[in-house]
Order: sequence, then C-alpha cells, then structure tokens
Amino acid sequence: MDEQELVKRLRQGDKSALEAVIKLHHAFLVAMATPLVGNDLADDVAQETWLRAFAAIGKFEGRSKLRTWLARIAINEAHAMRRKTGREVSLDGWGSDTGSPIGARFNEQGAWDVPPTQWHHETPDELLTEAELYECIQKHLHKLPEDQQSVVMMRELGGLDYGEIARALNLAEGNIRVLLHRGRQRMHAMLNHFEEVGTC
Amino acid sequence: MLTCREMSELGSDIIEGDLRLSTRWAVFMHLKMCSRCTLYIKQLKLTSAVLQQLPLNTTAVDSAAILEKLQERDK
Repeated sequence: MDEQELVKRLRQGDKSALEAVIKLHHAFLVAMATPLVGNDLADDVAQETWLRAFAAIGKFEGRSKLRTWLARIAINEAHAMRRKTGREVSLDGWGSDTGSPIGARFNEQGAWDVPPTQWHHETPDELLTEAELYECIQKHLHKLPEDQQSVVMMRELGGLDYGEIARALNLAEGNIRVLLHRGRQRMHAMLNHFEEVGTC
Repeated sequence: MLTCREMSELGSDIIEGDLRLSTRWAVFMHLKMCSRCTLYIKQLKLTSAVLQQLPLNTTAVDSAAILEKLQERDK
C-alpha cells in the first residue's frame, strides 16, 4: 500500500490501515522521543502522538512525508510531556565532535591511503532487500553515539530540517550538521565493511 | 585546492547542496579529477538515501495491542 492510499484509508478510519501505520512508524517515534523524555516516557509520547495524529489526519495535506508529519507531532508531545512531568533529560556532552571515523584512511598529505571500493549494491532498494544487511543497518544505527543517532533519526528517517532538530535538542545548527555528517560517515563505513566482507 | 580528506569532511554539505559558491567550485574541480572522492560522495549519498527509506523494527511492534490501548484511552 503506498502512502497516499494509506492516508486515504486512515481518514476513513480503516482499522487495518491504523494497524499498518502503527507497525510502520511506532518504533521510530519511540526511538526519536527517547532522548527528549527518557526511556520510560518515550512510549507514552508515541501513544499521545498517535491519538493526536489520528484525530488530525484530515488536516494532513501530504506536503511532507507522513513520517515527517508524525515526527513533528511527536516532538510537540515530548515537550508537552516534559512540561507536564517537570522532567528534564540531561543532554550534557551532546554535540561535541568525535572526529572523522575515516581519518586513518588518509595519508599525511590528505590523499586516500585506503580508498573506497566499488559496492555490489547500487540503490537503496537493493541494499534494503537483503535481509542480513537490513539487520546490520538497524544494529549499527543503534550503536551510533546517542547524539549522532538522534540527529540521524530526526533528519534521515524523520525528514526534519536542521532548525527543527536544533530546537528539539537545544543545540546549534552547526552542531546538528556535524553530528549528522559523523553519523552518516559511520553508517557508510558499516555498509562499506558489509560490501567488502559480506557479513555484518 | 582541496585535499581528499577535506572533501570527505565536506561530504554531507556536498550531497545536500549546502556549499558556498567558492567552495562549490573547488569541490567541482576536485571531483572532476578524483574518482576516489567521486565514489565516496556517491556512496555517502546512497547511505543517506538508505537511511531515509529505512523501516524501523516493524516486526517487534504489536500494532493491534497499541491500537486497542489507544481506543481504551479514547473512550
């Protein structure tokens, strides 16, 4: 079912569509809310998000992806939850640059010592349909440093812009850009390893 | 003249088209003569595209149970 069809059926209150959209995006909403409210409240934020989203699905205009629309609702719900519970989650140490994960692949002159190699897969679909690789991507996404993981989730999976992410995490946009780049570099290194060795 | 290391640091700005005009020119010139950086940037872009399409843990979510809970709360 494509997204347009899914939204159409959500507007009709189709139970199987409601279950399908929860299956598609619940884990993402929980993962995104966790750094904002902590582990124990993240699921509550996701549930509040669903209640709001199902009530307002008629207003979803399809200008962004559904996942982006849900991510925006989830961030608002997380802020509301924080105000309600008086909960402050410490993000101390977030935003500092851990340095390039591929720094050792260059020589002193800054040229490639260990250059990238050709991959067997050329498109996202090819990469994501290989079960073992899909598992490996998920595993490594969760192994990223927390701040990089959070920014990668919000930007890549959630489709939020830099300003929205910076406000949600109370960091400067410059920090968000660095964290995103480092996260992407680590995920690239993981994919590269898989392409070279054939295992996670 | 940008080095390959500097190109790798600019990777996300390159794939998002977030470069100043002067840097854009230097990147363009570097990519014209460096197949290794061209490949790295192409793969970084593919990495980003994969993440954008990534479904997350769909099997672990009991959507029927969540929906039931939501309906209980909504009553």
